[in-house]
Amino acid sequence: MGLELRDLSKHFTVKTDRGRATVRAVEKVNLEIPEGQTVALVGESGCGKTTIAKLVLKLEQPTFGAVNFDGKSLSEMSRSEIKDYRRQVQAVFQDPYASLNPRLTVRRIITEPIQAHYRHDRATLNARVAELLDIVGLPANAADLYPHEFSGGQRQRIAIARALALNPKIIILDEPISALDVSIRAQVLNLLMDIQEKFGLTYLLIAHDLALVEHLSTRVAVIYLGSVVEHGASAQIFSAPQHPYTQALLNAVPRPDPDYVPKAAESFDDTGSALEPPSGCKFHPRCPHVMAICKTDNPALTTMADGRQAACHLLSGPHAVRTA
Amino acid sequence: MSVTSAPTPAPAAAAPAVLPFMVRFRLKGAPWIPLSILAMVVIAAIGGESLTPHDPNGLNLAASFKPPFWQEGGTSEYLLGTDNLGRDVLSRIIAGARVSVIVSLYAIVFSGAIGTMLGIVAGYFGGIIDMIIVRIAEIKMAIPGLALALIFSATMEPGLSTVIIVIVLTYWTWYARIIRSEILSLRERDYVAFAKVAGCGSMTIFFRHLLPNIFNTLLVLMTLQVGQVILFEAALSFLGLGIQAPDTSWGLMLADARQYITYAWWGITMPGIAIMLTCLSSNLTGDWLRDLLDPKRRQL
Amino acid sequence: MTAVPLLKVENLQTHLHLRRGVVKAVDGISFEVHEGETLGIVGESGSGKTMTCLSILQLLPTGGGGRMEGSVELDGENLLALNEEQMAARVRGQKVAMISQDPMTSLNPVFTVGDQVSGPFLYHKLVKTVREALAAAAAGLRRVRIPSPERRLKNYPHQFSGGMRQRVVTAMAIACSPRLLIADEPTTALDVTIQVQIMSLLRGIQKDTNVGIILITHDLSIVAGLCHRIAVMYAGRIIETGKVRDIYRNPQHPYTQALLAAIPHLGQKRHRLAAIPGQPPNLMDLPKGCRFAPRCPKRMSVCDDYPPAIDTGGGHVVNCWLAAKQ
Repeated sequence: MGLELRDLSKHFTVKTDRGRATVRAVEKVNLEIPEGQTVALVGESGCGKTTIAKLVLKLEQPTFGAVNFDGKSLSEMSRSEIKDYRRQVQAVFQDPYASLNPRLTVRRIITEPIQAHYRHDRATLNARVAELLDIVGLPANAADLYPHEFSGGQRQRIAIARALALNPKIIILDEPISALDVSIRAQVLNLLMDIQEKFGLTYLLIAHDLALVEHLSTRVAVIYLGSVVEHGASAQIFSAPQHPYTQALLNAVPRPDPDYVPKAAESFDDTGSALEPPSGCKFHPRCPHVMAICKTDNPALTTMADGRQAACHLLSGPHAVRTA
Repeated sequence: MSVTSAPTPAPAAAAPAVLPFMVRFRLKGAPWIPLSILAMVVIAAIGGESLTPHDPNGLNLAASFKPPFWQEGGTSEYLLGTDNLGRDVLSRIIAGARVSVIVSLYAIVFSGAIGTMLGIVAGYFGGIIDMIIVRIAEIKMAIPGLALALIFSATMEPGLSTVIIVIVLTYWTWYARIIRSEILSLRERDYVAFAKVAGCGSMTIFFRHLLPNIFNTLLVLMTLQVGQVILFEAALSFLGLGIQAPDTSWGLMLADARQYITYAWWGITMPGIAIMLTCLSSNLTGDWLRDLLDPKRRQL
Repeated sequence: MTAVPLLKVENLQTHLHLRRGVVKAVDGISFEVHEGETLGIVGESGSGKTMTCLSILQLLPTGGGGRMEGSVELDGENLLALNEEQMAARVRGQKVAMISQDPMTSLNPVFTVGDQVSGPFLYHKLVKTVREALAAAAAGLRRVRIPSPERRLKNYPHQFSGGMRQRVVTAMAIACSPRLLIADEPTTALDVTIQVQIMSLLRGIQKDTNVGIILITHDLSIVAGLCHRIAVMYAGRIIETGKVRDIYRNPQHPYTQALLAAIPHLGQKRHRLAAIPGQPPNLMDLPKGCRFAPRCPKRMSVCDDYPPAIDTGGGHVVNCWLAAKQ
């Protein structure tokens, strides 16, 4: 039960200099988002994680595969079932300056989801607004102010209040703190952790900041050019990454330690293009451990002995060199 | 760099931004002269012949070609002089204001309404509807307005209604394109995405999020269109495709006085100045409104 | 490192006179940068770090009512005494160059990369013909490790990825072998793997040309790889300066400590992060005393007076009364 992605794929057709081409933004992603957990999708820009978020939020339709909720595919839901889905799955977006309509008061912004589903009288709505503002740590008089009167961190709190309005089960967090000032990030992060505990929320976290992901998530899926390359419990993946891409990512993250200089292979060109993905394993042109088979066969996501999943010829299949 | 502070319980500078144009009505920077000119034009239009010192159509050949009062031979009776038929130029200008205002109003309201509606539909729904509307607009834009006017005048009676119809048919594309691109960019805003995620229907999203945010643009477009419409009407009447005698319009005055420009320069110059001042005033007012309503300029 | 600093900023103040009041964006800062050294200026938005660089280059927004005071000496010459023409002809692009944050907007989309990279050579008259300039441009691209540089001269910015664009911008910046390079959050918009490459590129350039670098960032983690010294800014003033190692191992100012504690770091999983309460102050209405005091967990009554700069040894200077107690 709950949310799961089955063979989820999203292709876009684009016009290039050489005619039409297909961008495989998301390719056969299989993922479960267990209740009460925080599942993080990490990857670099262009890897498709934001597209996955949009598919889960039904802002885009999958080309193949499905997003299943409680066993039923989103594409096959009736209107009332979709409405029910929307009550249970909410979102907080990245940019606190663009995610609130500047012409609406905070009160109207927060009550928007409620009014989309219920007809409450004003007193009930106001009470709910006061309750939500209290949960996110904003003063009660904030309800009648406009977004531009708040700072970035406060606006993100408003967005969180809005996401909580319908008592959802699952919240999709799309880079929730990356646009905030450093000294404010911890406040919002702590708030997110508090409300998760308090309300038993499930989070799907989209982020590129690996330190944040390690801090907040219980499970992580590493995505490269639209496919999951490694997936498992955060503690496992961060302490002992197996896939060469995960290793490269973690090696590149700087630490506040003057003796630690992040490493990156010099041959590490910019992320490959989703327009013309390499043959075989998509990561092979950048992989320091590339073998012959990597150029021809795309490795399947297989479950390892320690429970994680990885797609790499080094780890599974007839050419496996290491075992997890 | 942001200048942030905690929200004070009683916000000092802000007033509720519900009505977009009335709120930050900073009268200090308002362009007084253009606004006064526009006000005069409107008053002239409403008052019409009750405000004119003479009958705009009163022929008096004995008094023809009188120069403006500051020139030799001019009198204070005919302040701006008279035309070839002895009609007072000032009175004709005042009377002609009515045509300009009526044409502007009808043209703007109708072309604005049609153009905006089509622009919204095209921008919001996209796909094949968008493509059809855009193609129609492009085909229409390929036909020059004056050519369209010629076609219409050939089939219909030239007159005020014809002018309005031609202007509406010509200008709706202008609104449609601009509003369409506004909607296209607004559609991608995070708060619109959120409204969908929250479960709001298309109509709700449209009225709550899209329409208020294009209102400002619309207002500015309308003000800017005033000048263009007046010029267009003047051109049509000049060519004989628009207003016909005995009605008065500035364009018609230009046409009539054209032949006498060398020795009765005031006949063509005065209505020309009236057109120019009105266009300039409406453009400047449009500029000011745009600056006033631009949320980014509200900041610092 | 030579004894005479390459850049010596003394009591720089940049105040923006706006209708609503005066924004004291930079309010009396002093620092030095030596040849071949990288100084990291760390701060959040509103701290004044970007304004500092813009002040050095006299690139304040026009019509912003900006007034600068103090001195900015580059190789002994006070840059603030120069007028616009002199700055444009001799200083910008030639003695001092800047790389800014967003590679998407730093390059003009309608000109080829060749046009843009060859621009500085021609403008500062380092070459005589366009052909020479293009050759120099290709050499510049090669230096920043862009493959097939001659072919790529003909490409437009949109045909490069983000990381490559930042390299192109770097090539433009180092074209005239500047003495000082200011990098304003050069990697914020880039992926972490590309970030490493850009940092290593800057390191390499510094090793080859002995250029002084000022790295502006809000991320204390990335300064480690590149910077020799760090200056932490808050609300328009520098509150702590020191060698990188000293700042990391022994941060003295509560703000610096809070910054280090407030960000998740890889490998250090904590249950809760120590959040810094409150907001940065309004730059139009600054408190008289220590500007961080309202948010400081170790605040004392003496903090109502602005703390002086206290040298705790080895060039580690803090503006905090706590340091005075020792």
